[in-house]
Amino acid sequence: MKKSDIGVCIVMYGVCAFFLYMTLQLPKAAQIYPLCVIALLAGLTTLHAVNMIIGAFRTGITDGLENFKDFLPSQFVSIFLMILIYIALMPYIGFYASSVLFMTASLLFLKVKIWQIVLSETAIFVLVYCAFTLFLEVRLPSGTVWGF
Amino acid sequence: MTETLSLMGMGFIHALYPVNLLAIAAGVTIGIVIGCLPGLSAAMGVALLLPMTFSMEASTGMIMLGAIYCGAIFGGSISAILIHTPGTPASAATAIEGYQMTLKGQAGKALGTACIASFFGGLLSCISLYFFAPILGQLAMKFGSPEYFWLSIFGLTIIAGVSSKSMVKGLMSGALGLLLSTIGMDPMQGVKRFMFGQSSLYEGINVTCALIGLFSMSQALVLAEAKIRQRAQAAKFNDRMILTKSELKEIAPTIGRSWIIGNLIGILPGAGASIACFMGYNTARQFSKHKELFGHGSYEGVAGSEAANNAVTGGSLIPMLTLGIPGESVTAVLMGGLIIQGLTPGPNLFVGETAKMTYTFFAGFVLIQFFMLGIGLLGCRGFAHIARLSDAILIPSVTILCVVGSFAIHQNYVDVVIMLIFGVIGWLSRKFGLNNAAIVLALILGPIGEKGLRRSLLLSGGDPAILFSTPVCWVLIVLCVLGVLSPILMDRMTGKQQDHSS
Repeated sequence: MKKSDIGVCIVMYGVCAFFLYMTLQLPKAAQIYPLCVIALLAGLTTLHAVNMIIGAFRTGITDGLENFKDFLPSQFVSIFLMILIYIALMPYIGFYASSVLFMTASLLFLKVKIWQIVLSETAIFVLVYCAFTLFLEVRLPSGTVWGF
Repeated sequence: MTETLSLMGMGFIHALYPVNLLAIAAGVTIGIVIGCLPGLSAAMGVALLLPMTFSMEASTGMIMLGAIYCGAIFGGSISAILIHTPGTPASAATAIEGYQMTLKGQAGKALGTACIASFFGGLLSCISLYFFAPILGQLAMKFGSPEYFWLSIFGLTIIAGVSSKSMVKGLMSGALGLLLSTIGMDPMQGVKRFMFGQSSLYEGINVTCALIGLFSMSQALVLAEAKIRQRAQAAKFNDRMILTKSELKEIAPTIGRSWIIGNLIGILPGAGASIACFMGYNTARQFSKHKELFGHGSYEGVAGSEAANNAVTGGSLIPMLTLGIPGESVTAVLMGGLIIQGLTPGPNLFVGETAKMTYTFFAGFVLIQFFMLGIGLLGCRGFAHIARLSDAILIPSVTILCVVGSFAIHQNYVDVVIMLIFGVIGWLSRKFGLNNAAIVLALILGPIGEKGLRRSLLLSGGDPAILFSTPVCWVLIVLCVLGVLSPILMDRMTGKQQDHSS
C-alpha cells in the first residue's frame, strides 16, 4: 500500500461529495445520470481503498512518492506562481506584454543565457504572430490598461 | 467497390493539392522536432497544435495532425540514436542498437535505417487502413443507441484498463472523466448542470482545452519540477545514410515482420508503439542471421524497432475512425481533432460527402510517409542539434503555446483558465498514477454514452432490458469484460518483451 494513495482516495471522495451536493440541487429527472456516475466513481474508489488495505497487510506500507524523487519544490512553486501571475496579468496588460514578462522572468530564473533568451523569445513570438495573428486571425488580448 | 475505388482516387487528387502538401511538410517537420526532443511526446505535440487546424478544411487539418503524429514517432529515433535518449517511448528499443552503431561510427547508417524502416512500416500500415477501416465502418452502421452505449463503455474500459499500472486507478480516471463530462446542458432535460454560472460551459467542457491542459500543460509542469540537465552533445557523423542494395535486401524481411506486428498492435486498442518497438526488435533478433551483432550495433535491430512503431500509426487509426474508440493517447487527441471539425468518428465517416474527407485523409497519410522519408534523410543533422534544446527553454515556450492555443478556440479567457485547471489535473494524475488518456476519453465518450443510454431507456419506456437486446450488445459486453481483464495480458506481454531485450 502506498501512503500517497490515501490522498487519492480522499480527493476522489471529496469530488464525489461535491458533485453529489450539486446534483441534489437539480430537478429529479436530471439527477439520475450524474448520480449513477458518482456512484460508479465512489464504488471504484472504495474498491481501491479495499485493495490498499489488503495490500498493507500483504506487502506493508510505502510512502508511494517515487514519482517525486527528483522534485524540486522551490523551482516548481516559483514557475507555477509565474504561470498564475502570467495568466492573471494577460487580460490587463495584453498577451504579448505578459508573455514577454513571463518568458523573460522564467528563463532568467532557470539561468538561461541572455542570447538564448533573446533568440527563443524571438522564435516563439514570430511563430505565435504568424500562426495565430496572421494565419488564424485570432485577436489576442491587447490589455485593458493600455486603453485599446 | 467501384465507388470505393473512385473515392480512393479522388482522395489522392485532393491530397495532392498544394495546401495539403504544405500541411504535410509542416506537420512532419514539427512532428520530428517534437519527437526528437526528449520530454515531449507525440500526444503532447498533436494537442498543442490542434488549435492551428481550426481554420483549415477538415481533411487538411487531419492530414496535418496525422503528419505530426507520424513525424513524432519517427523523430524519437534521432535522439535515441545520437544521444542515447529516446525522444518518445516508442523509440526505446531503437536506442539499444542505434546508439551502439553511433559509438562504432555508424550513426549515419543507423539514421538511414531508421528512416527507411519507418517509411516502409508507415506505408505498409496504410494498406490495413484502406482495407479494414471501411469494413469495420460498414459493421458499425448496424449500431443503434444501446450498441453505442456499450461501445463507449468498451472504449473506456480498454483504455482505462490497459494504459495504467493499476487497473482500478485507470477505471477511476475514466469515471472522473465521465463525471466531468456531465458539466454543461443536460442533453434530454435541457437543465443546466454544474456550470458555476459560466455560459461558456453551456456545451460542456471544451475538449480541446482539456486535451491541451492534460497533455501539454501538464508536460510543462512535469519539466518544471525536475533539475534542468544539460543534454549530451549529439554525435557528429560523416558516414553515408543511404543503405546499399544488399543492406536493403537484408532488412526487407525484418520490415515485413515488424509491419505485421506493429499493425496488429496498432489495431488492438490499448497497446501502442512503445510495446510494438520492443516486439519488433525481439522478432528481428529471433530471425536474424547475425544474432551476435545484437547489443553491439545491429541495423536489423534498428529496422525491426522502427518499422514496428511506425506501423502502429495506420493501424491505431482504424478503431478510432470506424468505431470511435481511440486505442491510445495520440489517437484520443486525434479524435478530439475530428470532433472539433464537426465530424463524428464512426461509420458516418465512410458515407456521403464525409467519405471524401476520410479518403483524402487516408491518401494524405500515404503521402506523409514519403515526406517523412525525404525530410528525415535530408534534415537528420539539423534535427540532431534541436534534440539538445534545454528543458529550461521548453517550459515557458510550451506554456505560452498552451495559453495562446486554448485562447484561440473561442477567443475566450475562460478557456485559458479551464486549460490551466486541466494542466494541474493532468500533472497530479501523472504523479499519482491516474490516467490522462482515460480522463480525456471519458470526456469525449461520456456524452455519446449518456445519449445512447438515455435514448435507449426512452425508447423502451425505462426498461433496461433494451441494453441487452441484440447480439451486438452481447459481443460488446464480452469485449468490455475482456477490456477490464486485458491489463493482466498486457503486463505479461510488456514484461516479456523488455526481459528479452535486456
